[in-house]
Amino acid sequence: MGKAQNTLIKQRLISNALDYGISLYLGSTIGYLINYIFALNISPFFIFIWSSLAFLVLLALPNTPGKSIYQDKDERIKLFSKLYHYIYSLAILLSLAVGWFMVEIEPFEFLTGMTGTRNILRGLFNPDKEIFWKMVSELIKTIYLALMATVFAVPIAFFLSFMAASNLMNKSLIGRVTYAIIRTISTVIRSIEAIVWAIIFAVWVGIGPFAGMLALMIHSIAALVKLYSEQIENIDHGPIEAITSTGASTLQIWKYAVIPQIINPFLAFTIYRWDINVRMATIVGFVGGGGIGLQLFQKQQMTDWNGVGTIVWLIALAVWLMDMVSAEIRKKLLSN
Amino acid sequence: MSIIEIKKLNKFYDESTHALKDIDLDIKKGEFLILLGLSGSGKSTLLRCINRLIEPTSGQINFLGNDVVQADSISLRKIRSDIAMIFQQFNLVKNITVLTNVLTGNLSKHSLFSRWTKEEKELAMQNLKRVGLQDFAYRKVRNLSGGQQQRVAIARALMQNPKLILADEPVASLDPATADSVMNYLGTLNKEDGITVVCSLHFLSLARKYGSRVVALKDGKVKFSGSPNDIDEHKFKDIYGEDAEEVEIR
Repeated sequence: MGKAQNTLIKQRLISNALDYGISLYLGSTIGYLINYIFALNISPFFIFIWSSLAFLVLLALPNTPGKSIYQDKDERIKLFSKLYHYIYSLAILLSLAVGWFMVEIEPFEFLTGMTGTRNILRGLFNPDKEIFWKMVSELIKTIYLALMATVFAVPIAFFLSFMAASNLMNKSLIGRVTYAIIRTISTVIRSIEAIVWAIIFAVWVGIGPFAGMLALMIHSIAALVKLYSEQIENIDHGPIEAITSTGASTLQIWKYAVIPQIINPFLAFTIYRWDINVRMATIVGFVGGGGIGLQLFQKQQMTDWNGVGTIVWLIALAVWLMDMVSAEIRKKLLSN
Repeated sequence: MSIIEIKKLNKFYDESTHALKDIDLDIKKGEFLILLGLSGSGKSTLLRCINRLIEPTSGQINFLGNDVVQADSISLRKIRSDIAMIFQQFNLVKNITVLTNVLTGNLSKHSLFSRWTKEEKELAMQNLKRVGLQDFAYRKVRNLSGGQQQRVAIARALMQNPKLILADEPVASLDPATADSVMNYLGTLNKEDGITVVCSLHFLSLARKYGSRVVALKDGKVKFSGSPNDIDEHKFKDIYGEDAEEVEIR
């Protein structure tokens, strides 16, 4: 009895919260559009008031989005039986309208303004041959930067990933806490763009490839912890059981039943990460991470479009090659 | 003489899941014991309690004079090395070679970094030959069929030179013909090598053909123990429920 009542109350709460959320959203989008189109300045307070009034109306109506969650199809009152469909459609249409104005989409500009880019395009297709070898050496520097970032990231990520695998850590409270902490930190680190890390490290150790490497390293650790630990979570428990039953020690079980199952995916992820790091290294170079990215930034600041051309084509070539080679190696690794 | 003596064995997975209820079971040396029973009747749990892949909640298990339940980790490893296990899903390490999988049967005699000796490799080849897979030694396990994989698992079991083989539905993922051939290998090990076999099965026909004794579990209790030929229609319905019909496979 009490339990059923609890679920009922929970259901009503969720349903009303949904209706109220939708009322607020519809109210604010309409408010934004009125403000934009009529150049008015209706305050958020009034928008809040009329959204709340709209919610009160919804409370009285049947078949609102909230009510449609728990009502069966046949239970629905015939009147306005599709009301929630209309409300959702309205929400989508309003979103598109708001998006159009907020992003300042201007098709006319897009179609007519291309002439201004003439210089840039001419530069890109006439790369500066003088600086070719210098840029090749910068590109090589960038590839090594990515390599070192990956190499330093792998052992740390490898170690941490076991503590971030739920199937290994959910056996004790300490385990679950460690798991939660590592997963959270790695998510936070991943959500901070590598470019921000590069700025931090450029201040920390000075502008240059070392700062770039540190930025990519910390990002790679976080990304690899996630990929590695998911692989550990997916291993087949059967071989572990079988090797245990032969009387093997815990470390032997790891060596013969766990490592063989994860080694190839781990290598594949690592190479993939190196590949990503080469691409990210150019971006990171923009903000002081050194290598070809820094050169690109400087040439672009000097509006030396021919120089930018040389660099862009070199990067494109390197990324294409890395992409192809890493895809091929990964395919080999994962197929056997 | 008994090889395994089980007394008042109980296993609770949680408060409401009582998987084994006061099981008493005596397994004689040289027996080919078949465990019957519905899925969830406790067959797998019982088999895994014998080598403590699953920890029993209470009760005693005696293996050739060794107390299995109380054994510390070192003596438990010694006990496990004398008991080989075969699984429904074969449980081989799929991306290493057949030969290495067979060799892992001998891990209890190794330290973490010791290498396989020449004698061990020869023994592994002999064991592969017994199951007719000597030509597959250097293939990766994932490229083998189900029946072949189960034979590799038998070779791995042989590598342990076991006194007892526990087989947990070893033929449930195989087609009838392959199932019979795998059971045949187990039968040979039982007769020629004198290895005691405890094998859970779903098919009475195979139980009659290979078993020297049948123990049937129902809801975690021993419901029947006796010769496979004593299971008539009445006993069968007792074990599997009123609606069950016997299915023949040959």
